[in-house]
Amino acid sequence: MPLSLTLRLQESAMCRPDAEALVHGEQRLSYRELWQQVLAVAAFLRNQGLEPRARVALLLNNSTAYVSAYYGVLAAGGVVVALNTAAKAVDLSNWLAHCDASWLILDARHAEAGAVSEWCRGRVNVVVVNGAVEATHAWQDVLTTEAAPDVVPVTPDALAAIIYTSGTTGRPKGVMLSHGNLTTNVESILAYLGLRNSDRILNVLPFYYSYGNSVLHTHLAVGGCVVIEDNLAYPHRVMQRLSSERATGFSGVPSTFALLLSRVKLEDYALSSLRYLTQAGGPMPPANIERLRKALPQVRLFIMYGQTEATARLSFLPPERLHDKLGSIGVAIPGVTLDVRNDQGVSAAPNEVGEIWAYGGNIMPGYWNDPEATRAVLHNGWLRTGDMAYRDVDGYFFIQGRKTEMIKSGAHRIHPKEIEEAIAELDGVGEVAVVGVPDEILGQVIKAYILPKPGVTLDPLQVKAHCHKRLASYKIPKSVEFVTELPKTASGKIKKFLLATTTA
Amino acid sequence: MSLEQKVRSYILESFLFTDDQSVLDNADSLMGKGIIDSTGTLELISFLEEHFGVKVEDEDMVPENLDSVNKIMAFLQRKQVSH
Repeated sequence: MPLSLTLRLQESAMCRPDAEALVHGEQRLSYRELWQQVLAVAAFLRNQGLEPRARVALLLNNSTAYVSAYYGVLAAGGVVVALNTAAKAVDLSNWLAHCDASWLILDARHAEAGAVSEWCRGRVNVVVVNGAVEATHAWQDVLTTEAAPDVVPVTPDALAAIIYTSGTTGRPKGVMLSHGNLTTNVESILAYLGLRNSDRILNVLPFYYSYGNSVLHTHLAVGGCVVIEDNLAYPHRVMQRLSSERATGFSGVPSTFALLLSRVKLEDYALSSLRYLTQAGGPMPPANIERLRKALPQVRLFIMYGQTEATARLSFLPPERLHDKLGSIGVAIPGVTLDVRNDQGVSAAPNEVGEIWAYGGNIMPGYWNDPEATRAVLHNGWLRTGDMAYRDVDGYFFIQGRKTEMIKSGAHRIHPKEIEEAIAELDGVGEVAVVGVPDEILGQVIKAYILPKPGVTLDPLQVKAHCHKRLASYKIPKSVEFVTELPKTASGKIKKFLLATTTA
Repeated sequence: MSLEQKVRSYILESFLFTDDQSVLDNADSLMGKGIIDSTGTLELISFLEEHFGVKVEDEDMVPENLDSVNKIMAFLQRKQVSH
């Protein structure tokens, strides 16, 4: 059985104590320092009486504190719930209640820190990073706790993490991941990426999503280094950092690469150390794949596919097949079986479109406290991904669309219903339909169609302002169109596919 | 409309969805306060190029030029003088 994530980190700390584990701005943390912090966090939580399986939520942007807290919770036998830092207080408190968190580690600089810590009073114990809030514990005190002598042993099926993914406000969806899920997926990714301890990745992906989560764990598992870059807003700076940090790897979603390709000339930078690029999080237009290959011909580009429900990764396209299998998500990663099945659950013939089903040690045990939602996607250990695809005669998979109406914008998966619910709260809204429409950079952007109540005039800015108050910024519609009717089926269901073909 | 008003009203309307002038200080960090994200920065650059006749080069795309109303105004003035 492979070592758990914490034991692998411990191994790296013992073998290469002085090697850089994390870089963030001016801060550079060695494996020894990181491991000491992890043991201090674990000791603090255990001294405070943390029960096994107790949920510890994090509301932290990518930082060294995030990593110490994440591994510290695991080392204490707890369950990490890393919350989406773009979310508003209403969703954050909703998730904290849903997973019955006993602790929250939050950054005082977070825009919702005040509202969330207020909600936590009397319900959830709070540790505050970068500041002080009354009646809470300070992160500095946590880090100076005398280190725990060891990590709490766990079995592979013990729960390690819950990731809240695209549910609605009324029904959050918490993907449960076991220690076995995390280590299995890490092992598979290491096998096909061939990562080693000399690797240094420049990371722009949020760790609270499964993709960033896997980038973090895989690099720490081999004793490599993760250089945290806060954002992509200044592409020139990102490229300079790739060069000055002598990064060997870089990972992004399609919009990451679209953004870089649109603003900087990749070939103008000294990137002799760069060895691999990885891309997941939705289909990247083949034209951008070609542009990347042309600009960086010496770099191996891995196109990948996965889901949070599968820990992160399900398939990859070997770089040497990029040319003849352009547009494919490749083949199953080691240890995973993928199948294309029709509506009856029977394997489809080659080139026949059906739903992707996945099987392997990385498939989640289910959604937290939601057996009904779990039953809808898990069948005898197989995960129904909701993605429609065909497999060609060589066994390569090609995605053709999704079964659900989920919107994928940048790195985010968004349930349209959540936005529709928010807009429907506005006075004067009769009916509303929210869809994803094509966008060159983000893949899709959100568009809202609103049928106002008779005699009411609404203003797009008013709708966006309301969404801005209620929802994370990436869920605010890019455009709002008022209509006199919405296209419907005979049974009264809105024909969203007709709306989704328009532009923003 | 002055340069300052143009920049302010664009940011207020596009990213804060309001015409309430009090919610945006000219010194506010647009990234730090979560007003603009990475794609928002791209939109901001397109706006500056379209409305002020400047070309934003790769090396101009740094927070020192773009991260607040004050910085944007100083950047635009430098750019317009140099052309």
